[in-house]
Amino acid sequence: MHDIERRALLKGAGIGALAFCVGGAEVMLTPRAARAQGVALRTLSAAQAAALDALGETLVPGARQAGISHFIDQQISIPAEEALLEARILNVRPPYANFYRAALGAIERASEKLNQGRGFAQLSEAEQRSFVDQMRQAKLEGWQGPPGPFVYLLLRSDAVDVVYGTMDGYAALGIPYKAHIAPTQRW
Amino acid sequence: MAVNEKVDAVVVGAGASGSVFAAVLARAGKKVVVLEQGPDWQPKELISSDIWGRRIKPAGGPFLLEGKNPFGYVYQAGWGVGGAALHYFANFPRLLPNDFKMRSEHGRGLDWPISYSDVAPYYDQVAQDVGVSGDAKAEEIWRPAGRPYPMPPMQTFRNGEIWRKGCESSGIRLVPAAVGMNSIEYKGRPACIYDGWCHIGCPIGALANPLVTYLGEARKAGAEVRARAMATRVLTNAQGNKATAVEYYDANKERQVQEASVVVLAAWSAQNPRILLNSATDKHAKGLANGSGLVGKYVMCHFSSGTWALFDEDMQSYLGTTGAQLMSYDRYDKTSRKGAFGSSFIVAGTALKTSDLGGFANARLDLFGPDLATFMKRAARGLTRIGAFGEALPNIENRIELVSDKDEFGMQLGKIVHGFDQDAVALWNANFDEGLKIAKATGAKEVWSARGNMPTIHLMGGTIMGAEAANSVTNSYGQTHEVPNLYVAGPGIFATAGASNPTYTVLALSLRGAEQMAKDWGTIAD
Repeated sequence: MHDIERRALLKGAGIGALAFCVGGAEVMLTPRAARAQGVALRTLSAAQAAALDALGETLVPGARQAGISHFIDQQISIPAEEALLEARILNVRPPYANFYRAALGAIERASEKLNQGRGFAQLSEAEQRSFVDQMRQAKLEGWQGPPGPFVYLLLRSDAVDVVYGTMDGYAALGIPYKAHIAPTQRW
Repeated sequence: MAVNEKVDAVVVGAGASGSVFAAVLARAGKKVVVLEQGPDWQPKELISSDIWGRRIKPAGGPFLLEGKNPFGYVYQAGWGVGGAALHYFANFPRLLPNDFKMRSEHGRGLDWPISYSDVAPYYDQVAQDVGVSGDAKAEEIWRPAGRPYPMPPMQTFRNGEIWRKGCESSGIRLVPAAVGMNSIEYKGRPACIYDGWCHIGCPIGALANPLVTYLGEARKAGAEVRARAMATRVLTNAQGNKATAVEYYDANKERQVQEASVVVLAAWSAQNPRILLNSATDKHAKGLANGSGLVGKYVMCHFSSGTWALFDEDMQSYLGTTGAQLMSYDRYDKTSRKGAFGSSFIVAGTALKTSDLGGFANARLDLFGPDLATFMKRAARGLTRIGAFGEALPNIENRIELVSDKDEFGMQLGKIVHGFDQDAVALWNANFDEGLKIAKATGAKEVWSARGNMPTIHLMGGTIMGAEAANSVTNSYGQTHEVPNLYVAGPGIFATAGASNPTYTVLALSLRGAEQMAKDWGTIAD
């Protein structure tokens, strides 16, 4: 990560948005806005982002539009000590990109094996729900990767973060956020 | 390598225990340097957000986590000035007299070399120093009398009060929780506003974190806090009987040596043993202060049995503090649970946030998709929780040791091996059973146990205190038996865990150790 990016992110820590790269310049955006603007991904492939979007939406409705794949992509592209991911407090060893690659890879392999070559994003909503339910209970046969229940816990937490962990999320639930120092842009 | 001018004391770790030593010694006129591996956090950086709050915890600690019940390291560890006490819940229950003589009274666990009466005056003093709110008189149904707390109890909310009815049905008496928070303005620090963001750092200083208590006082008295200084070894003289300095790596990853007359290791129960083991020399082949072979041994932690209750009514679930509003020692006797052994400490009433490990999204981990969305709506105002911390006995197999892999400074990584024994599991289950009974008596619409992997909470032990060098690492002041000018501070010196949140005891023991050091400086310092 370039120094200028780090400075931008630290500034973001104060104002509540994250540092995304738009047209070669660092811009402070919420993940929702980054998704809406089609900001280029830095670490995830398009296929991985599509799978992550589908997983997030299956886990927590609204996660896709809230920008879960841009959130994860931005977070696994910065130094671990600056990361805000739940992976951090669940003792995942940095670099966190390794965990997400392994988890998404395991999901895709399992999905393709069980669904005639179709990846998770290609499944119907009912199939996606069934897959996730099996994954959380470690019931997917031939699973190869981080334990399914742990992948479920962590990705579910990421989806909860982007949908309910923000000021907008509290507002949607009808409860006060009650900030001492508020993240701005309702993130 | 740079060798820094010798100071009176170098303290490794700017958390709860190190801050006390730094304050006491600096006030006594000693030149003190505090080394802290992480950043120098300022209150204004403590953004009210579970997401942003993760920055004040380590990013992958230098420990492998193994055993039947691996310890949840990062969530509870500190990273930066303030240490773990920058994000602790500030529940301030004491240990009780029965914690100190478990071996003598029950033939189980270990004895402490001191009694409750040795620590009690320091509990009272800490309460005045940092500010504790509560009702000391009400607690006297379980413990000897002491001084009143300097502030009245905190405000309670429906999410706490509802548990009174349930607990009464089981004969459990609830009293106001003792907390290190301001129910009223105290020492120029404002009163709490009950926003429930304690666990990601209180930026207004209503919660007694080190920045606004002992560490702030230490700085005012002249102590220097050096952030981003990663301590790797304690250096000793040729004879191996005196500590002479601490080796550390600065923000530029340059090797530095800070010479000092006294060394205090206050880097928490995991890192202190790692540093001691990494400080092996020909005079201390097994690691410094490890003649007993007990450095890194008897690692302990608490577990918790939580019970959820969901109401249709507004329980004010979003109001209060992260810690407890009410508490009870009525299950604290070691034999209070049939078929189990150890103390339980009950807490009720907490402000709930949406995300993070303690967030209410995790109250029903089995739910996802539209079912989770429906639950979140209901839980936002109607959910509340009661919990019981349980005591795990010291077990020599629960340990911290070095492994061959190294960190960026060439220091061997550590490994924390931890598992609960059958007594702990039985106690955990018994507390779940009673929790459900209590919850049903509240009249809640739905109740359920927060079962999952058995949680590991509050790391203790690893450098236990004792009366003899053969069976412990330090004496009751934290002074190592083998190197008199080397102290260990923090929950690592606990001989048993009790079931109370440990930080109040950490502060009390640190104050006791620091005052002894200052008083006997002439015989201790090199």
